[in-house]
Amino acid sequence: VIRENPVHWDWLIYLEMFVAGVAAGAYATATLLEVFGRGRSPVARTAHLIAFPLMVVAAILLTVDLNRPERFWHMLVQSKTLLPMFKPWSPISVGSWLVLLFPAVAFVSFVDALIARRVFALGGWRWDRTLHGTPLGLIWSIIGGVLALAVAAYSGVLLSVTNIGGWSNSSLIGALYVATAAVTGIAAVLLIEALRGRTDPADVAGLLRAATGLILWQMLLLVVFLATLGRDGLAVFLTGSPLVAIIGAVLLGGILPLVLRFTRAGVRPSTTALFAALILVGGFLLRYAVVMGPQQGHLIPGAG
Amino acid sequence: MKLFNVLGQQQPSQPQFPPLPVTAPGMPSAPIAFQRGEAVGFFTDTTLCIGCKACEVACNEWNQLPAWNGGANTLSGLSYDNTRRLDGTHWRHVKFVEQFTPDRRQQNWLLMSDVCKHCVQAGCLEVCPTGAIIRTEFDTVVIQSDVCNGCRECIAACPFDVIEINPSTGSAQKCTLCYDRLQVGLTPACAQACPTASIQFGPIRELRQRADARVAQLQGQGTQAYIYGDEKMLGGLNAFFLLTDKAEVYGLPADPKLPSRNVVPSWLLSAGSAAVVGLIGLLTFRKRRMEGLVTPRAAGEEVEP
Repeated sequence: VIRENPVHWDWLIYLEMFVAGVAAGAYATATLLEVFGRGRSPVARTAHLIAFPLMVVAAILLTVDLNRPERFWHMLVQSKTLLPMFKPWSPISVGSWLVLLFPAVAFVSFVDALIARRVFALGGWRWDRTLHGTPLGLIWSIIGGVLALAVAAYSGVLLSVTNIGGWSNSSLIGALYVATAAVTGIAAVLLIEALRGRTDPADVAGLLRAATGLILWQMLLLVVFLATLGRDGLAVFLTGSPLVAIIGAVLLGGILPLVLRFTRAGVRPSTTALFAALILVGGFLLRYAVVMGPQQGHLIPGAG
Repeated sequence: MKLFNVLGQQQPSQPQFPPLPVTAPGMPSAPIAFQRGEAVGFFTDTTLCIGCKACEVACNEWNQLPAWNGGANTLSGLSYDNTRRLDGTHWRHVKFVEQFTPDRRQQNWLLMSDVCKHCVQAGCLEVCPTGAIIRTEFDTVVIQSDVCNGCRECIAACPFDVIEINPSTGSAQKCTLCYDRLQVGLTPACAQACPTASIQFGPIRELRQRADARVAQLQGQGTQAYIYGDEKMLGGLNAFFLLTDKAEVYGLPADPKLPSRNVVPSWLLSAGSAAVVGLIGLLTFRKRRMEGLVTPRAAGEEVEP
């Protein structure tokens, strides 16, 4: 049975999923650095500086994609009673709240990073008295990190919780999205740091190690995801442009960065930048493939 | 609840609901009475459908559905069926299942007036993030056009491919089982218009009994008839069908599922993946911390790069 009514989740959606993933991954990177690394660091501040603006872009993309964008607030507030609108069993409802809460937390970290870099000060909130670096900042960072990973996951969960073959054949899309978000978030931070050229090489080395581990985790999840889709589910990904995108994601986002990593990355900022850029391109291609593949075939599960 | 038509205009207020007996012309049985709070629906006997599409016309007319093609004829080119499918502007659709031999000397036509199934366990209602999709006091499933913001999640969630965006309103739309008519005790427009009683409207309990009797009658005549949409299917379809061939032949899924079957495993696996990300962070950044302890950084280095 072929689905005839298209969902029309096109470029706005896979671009949003990519941008939100990078934002979430960057913030999660900062949290991991603060919790497990050497506390606050220039690298963590760079991550905070990109997370909030990217989430604003993602929220705008999501809103524009609605057929009635002026009603975006109906996802948060019941339009007739003005009571909160929340369905914990609906991933898109959960996601709507995450897309509100995570940028709110990321905004504070963003301002804190600007203050730390002496762009401005707000009263007693000065470059030498920032939030991050204090126990309260650590708690704030952990809350933001958890929200970031939830933002990364929800859009993948949302795809699984449908009745479109290829998406609903698997419960692994959310897990895959978390891995992609984490690795592209680190890649975005690495790219900026490499272009700035002022980063402690030891910090870069730590990020490279983390990115390498996450590439392997992402590729493992991608293989398991494809292998467990079943024949019909797999077929929608292995034709047309999604197939090309998957091959591109594996090559550009997996194999080439690993080859670079174990040969030249970290040696010079340019190779580190190339390593990071490849991961970002691969992450984008993976988002494209996952979103567009099932919309080619539009199979209805349970068709027998 | 305030009522709005498909263009988002508020309908005039309705009189107090009376428990009216309703008579549907063409009904083979006695007049059907139904009351507010009682589950009602459609029993569509496909063996009686003659493909006249009067139900489609009645639906479009009552619900003021637009001729999206600007009034011009749009031919499917593949079939004698030119309204093609259920979508945002076709809330009833008479499917023509045209079975021809290659030389077209022999033919068999199956006709089925398809519609939203008003599932007791409705996938669209589960996922709708705005509360636009509601279950009414008649146990039907209705999309409130003035609440929907067109996120299209319900389109992806429906196992029957029923919902689509109505271009006139920018909101997702489908059959309301004529909620506005039900509120004043009227039969839905399609059932009212059906000239052969293929579409029968009434309380679900009574319709099920009628359907079982019809199946027994047809099976007694040697026809392979069965009910599609009994209580085992998504808790029961409030618009159910008598079919004489496999569900797939009619374009229906044999085993429709709720999208929520993937909610818990998806979140759990995502949490597992997040834990692995955290573990990788621990292993890689912890090493960095150890190095930092061995080689202390210069004062102020971490404050301003």
